[in-house]
Amino acid sequence: MSVTMRRRFRLEPYVEFAKRAIAREATYRFNVFTGLGSLVVRVYLLRTVWTALYAHNAAPRELPLHAIVTYSTVALLMGLVLDIDQTRALYDRLHDGSIATDFMKPINVPLYFFADGTGEVLFHGALLVPALGFALLLVHVDVPSLGVLAAFAVSFLLGYFVGFFLNFILNCSAFWTLEISAVQMIVTWLTDLLGGQLVPLVFFPAALAGVVYALPFAAMFSTPLLIYVGVIGPERYFDVMASQLAWIVVLGTVSTLLWRAGARRVVVQGG
Amino acid sequence: MFGLYRQYWRINVLTTLEYRANFILWSLFTVVYHGSAIAALYIVLHEFPSMNGWTFRDMAFLYALWMLAHALQNTLFSNVDDVPERIREGDFDRVLIRPVDPLFSVIATPGQIFPDELILAASFFALATVYSGVRVDAAFVLLVPLVVAGGALIDLGINLGIATLAFWFVRVDALRWVVLQLEQEFTRYPIVIYSRGVRFLLTFVIPFAFMNYFPAAYFLDKHDGTFLLPPQVGLLSPLIGTALVLAAYAFWRFGLRRYQGVGH
Repeated sequence: MSVTMRRRFRLEPYVEFAKRAIAREATYRFNVFTGLGSLVVRVYLLRTVWTALYAHNAAPRELPLHAIVTYSTVALLMGLVLDIDQTRALYDRLHDGSIATDFMKPINVPLYFFADGTGEVLFHGALLVPALGFALLLVHVDVPSLGVLAAFAVSFLLGYFVGFFLNFILNCSAFWTLEISAVQMIVTWLTDLLGGQLVPLVFFPAALAGVVYALPFAAMFSTPLLIYVGVIGPERYFDVMASQLAWIVVLGTVSTLLWRAGARRVVVQGG
Repeated sequence: MFGLYRQYWRINVLTTLEYRANFILWSLFTVVYHGSAIAALYIVLHEFPSMNGWTFRDMAFLYALWMLAHALQNTLFSNVDDVPERIREGDFDRVLIRPVDPLFSVIATPGQIFPDELILAASFFALATVYSGVRVDAAFVLLVPLVVAGGALIDLGINLGIATLAFWFVRVDALRWVVLQLEQEFTRYPIVIYSRGVRFLLTFVIPFAFMNYFPAAYFLDKHDGTFLLPPQVGLLSPLIGTALVLAAYAFWRFGLRRYQGVGH
């Protein structure tokens, strides 16, 4: 790696890697259809469930029905991007051993995985447009002011990086053990619940909320979503985004350390 | 055939013991999968105490009933789900040349199957029964196994029907996938909350409502008046399950006779 670092950095190969990833994802048309079909079914379900709950109980003041429907719909759409394991390629290449040849290529290997993952995410991100179109057939989604939208976009991007490093750490553990599929599924399920995608964290009982806010998952879904629906007001933007940034620094550091240790292992084993 | 079936379970258990770390992690995932669903219900109903008259205690029982039936089906018949994949890969032809019934051969294909989900489901069901305050009497003890078996048969009947479609269509994943979502996510709530069309679908077309909603309404004594049906219809689950499996089996036999392979 030290050799590649000293070479003059060129961006073009990585743009090409991202483009390849987009083309690869586009060939799995079946996944696209089920993804969109799933979204429509889930939007119907969330509308029905929240409507029934609000009809029979006192509505919480900070989240009236239209806000919770907006929250849940935007959460589903964010899931199209955030639930992707964009560093899966790392696991695959460790699994079949081709990681060894990657190290010989004149590229920065982690950056290669980042470019590949970005391409994958961009493709699925483009699906947000038709997905939103279908969702709007079933529910009304509130649109906040431009300033709030901008804050949401920044917070969403920060949340994306938190998710990226979490996935990277999980896939890096494949340097030591290849049985990580179950762990990944567990983390995905926990992210959806503890990140506030299924139920807003403001509804969590106090004891549970304390735990949830101490975990990185809230930085992925909850923070941008609560900004979107206005529960987190402008006066708190700086604090919540600083906390997201802190998670990025922590998880990014862990990722770097794990990667270095893992890469050394490959070299040692490869002789 | 009984001896074969015993061997099948012997291999399953031995395989599971061979991959112990993997088994423990996947069992943990099963706990997280059901645990997060139940936790989400708890959190929501903590904030909103009633869903059309159903409390969290009721809904825990509703979930437990589905979970038990589904886990029973998964443990005994999950191999049926692999039929479309096996047809596509050409591997299905192997079961046709064996001197046992092809469906039996499919069901008894050894893998890494262990009744961990069933044990979890039974434990949670016992817990939810006490927690929900359902009246446990002789009738309850007698009826629950019948209703659970009925629910598992409904689950199997629908899975077998979809798997059989693979004899004609190479890709049935999309359909299976939508039906799976209807089963797993729509059975979490009392079906009274859905629009008429969805209630009709879940009651008369793919009767998942008989896996848990109608029997739970009977045991919990809920009178939602869905389609003007009295709660006692919940006890029809075993009949509906049996009829559905028989129909699916006839369809399977029909498909098997027509089947000519995918041309490998």
